[in-house]
Amino acid sequence: MKIENTKAQMRKGVLEFCILSVLKDQDAYVAEILETLKDAKLLVVEGTIYPLLTRLKNAGLLNYRWEESTSGPPRKYYGLTETGKLFLKELDTTWNELQNAVNIVTAKKNTTNE
Amino acid sequence: MNKTVNINLAGIFFHIDEDAYLKLQRYLEAIKRSFTDSQGRSEIIADIEARISELFSERVQNDKQVIGLKEVDEIIAIMGQPEDYLVDDEIFEDEPKVNYKQKSSPSRRLFRDTENSYIGGVSSGLGHYFGIDAIWIRLAWILLIFGAGTGILLYILLWILVPEAKTTAEKLIMTGEPVNISNIEKKIKDGFDTVTDTVGDVAKNVSDSVSNAAKNVDVKKHANSIKSSSRTFFDTLADVIMFFFKVIAKFIGVILIIVGATTIIALIIGLFSLGIADIVHIPGLDMVEIANAGNTPLWLVSLLVFFTAGIPFFFLFYLGLKILINNLKSIGNIAKFTLLGLWLMSIIALIVVGIRQASEHAFEESHITKTELAITATDTLIVKMVNDDKFNRNFYRHNNLKVAHDAEGNKLIYSADIDIIVKSTTDSVASIAIEKSADGRNYERAIERAKNIDYNFSFNNNTLFLDSFFSTDPVNKFSDQDINITLYLPEDMVVFFNNNTKSFLNYRKYDGNIVSSKTTSHYLKILENNSECLDCPIEEKTIKVDTPGLKINDDGIEIHADETHVKIDRSGVKAEAEDVKVKIDSNGIEIKAEE
Repeated sequence: MKIENTKAQMRKGVLEFCILSVLKDQDAYVAEILETLKDAKLLVVEGTIYPLLTRLKNAGLLNYRWEESTSGPPRKYYGLTETGKLFLKELDTTWNELQNAVNIVTAKKNTTNE
Repeated sequence: MNKTVNINLAGIFFHIDEDAYLKLQRYLEAIKRSFTDSQGRSEIIADIEARISELFSERVQNDKQVIGLKEVDEIIAIMGQPEDYLVDDEIFEDEPKVNYKQKSSPSRRLFRDTENSYIGGVSSGLGHYFGIDAIWIRLAWILLIFGAGTGILLYILLWILVPEAKTTAEKLIMTGEPVNISNIEKKIKDGFDTVTDTVGDVAKNVSDSVSNAAKNVDVKKHANSIKSSSRTFFDTLADVIMFFFKVIAKFIGVILIIVGATTIIALIIGLFSLGIADIVHIPGLDMVEIANAGNTPLWLVSLLVFFTAGIPFFFLFYLGLKILINNLKSIGNIAKFTLLGLWLMSIIALIVVGIRQASEHAFEESHITKTELAITATDTLIVKMVNDDKFNRNFYRHNNLKVAHDAEGNKLIYSADIDIIVKSTTDSVASIAIEKSADGRNYERAIERAKNIDYNFSFNNNTLFLDSFFSTDPVNKFSDQDINITLYLPEDMVVFFNNNTKSFLNYRKYDGNIVSSKTTSHYLKILENNSECLDCPIEEKTIKVDTPGLKINDDGIEIHADETHVKIDRSGVKAEAEDVKVKIDSNGIEIKAEE
């Protein structure tokens, strides 16, 4: 079992949730989503996001529109659909519960260790 | 200095160095291969290309600037290696996949592993397939070879039938690894390493040139080309065997062409000459016309025969050509099926003609005329055959029907199928019955043909002259015409069969023939259902006895008994008893008695 793999798994697990969260308040195109995620150090390389976006779009959680760009090719602006919003809401709850649970578990461990 | 190419990436135009271009191309290709269509591959690739295009645009300050390897490397660093694109399906699948277990060990397929081969790579391929070390398979082969050599046959069969794992994807399928980009790249690197390791010094130069070349061209290709330079002995052996197979195949092809062509040519000549004969009337060919009892037009029959025999030979010829010339243009399905249809139709037509011909022999009928001969039992009857220079010169019975011309030049069918039977009768006069028989499609036709047989005999001076042949008009065709002559002779009559009747008399003894062909040229007295030879030499009879005690043979007689011995032979008589010995020979008589 490699530590890199486990890390990647953990990151990938929450990535979908994070992408949806980025798009919660406003539509964004890939570079903007990437910037946010990279700033948060959630993402090391960009490649991972493309299959995820396509998957979310195909699942009906996201939709997109084309917008012209001055500096390059036209951009895809992604936004949440109604289902996407509901989906995100549920994920939010789950995440909070999970965070809570993980905190409790890890905290307990720390105390028993010390 | 570097060569550049122009590319269109997501609708934006870029100048790019050739080496950088090739790297980018490989990179995109690798990513492409890590997705399946169901994941929306084309859309993902389009998105990625758009992003790369965007990233390039940020780095290009003006139109003249060229994108080099540095920029491409930067982009790849940002975008990530192909592995990073892989999405863990288990996490993201809405419903957990039932066949996940299968995915972790993907289905394998049987290939020959020529990289790890001793002979043809069959063993290592089987090893991969069953997931065991190839050494066990090899041991099994050796055992099988001792088992009546079936192993060798099976091995060769597998060698021929199992495909070699040529592409990297096939090699991965063979070992059961999932075919994705990282595995493929890993495999290529591995393969490359193995080769450079094994080939050693020889490959050193090669690998130098390869490492140069690999910068420009696909790595995989070069890895393969090095592999081919490190061929094993068995590969060469396989080539030699293949070469011989090819030579044999070509040889067979040549034979097929020769056989096919000559047969077709012969058939065409045959057809042509028959067609000519129909118009010009070549003498010998009348036979065919007359033998054709069913009255089917000759040209039709010959055409049918031509097709029935010719078409298969044409296909043989064509097959031969195909073997010799690899890229021979096909004659086309329409032509093939037309020929096949024509062939089947010809066969059916020939069968119909054959049945018609056979039906001409459905009925055999005979016509009998009986004539009394003016001769009484006290006279001696002489029977002779009469021959004709044209028809039957040799007084020899044969049952072939032949064609000839008579004195007026008319065509005639003739034959010597004549049997003579002699029977005794209680009548006071002798009589002769001529039975003419022939075949026909029905009773009327058969009897008509029988009546149309022309056969003559004459009687004068107590001598019966029988023609040794009969004839009939060609319109009656060959329809198994024959003649049976029955002579009814009063008992006590003496008859003399001339020697030339011999061959006509010999037949059909079971019909009650009382005269054998062995007794021609002798005077025979007719008895009741039998005959007696009046002047035949008495047959010499030889007795041979050879039992213990008694011996009779050509040498003489010899008797052995208790205490006695008698011997009569060429040298004289010799008799010995217990008390006396008698000997008669050229020296006189000698008697010895014991006192």
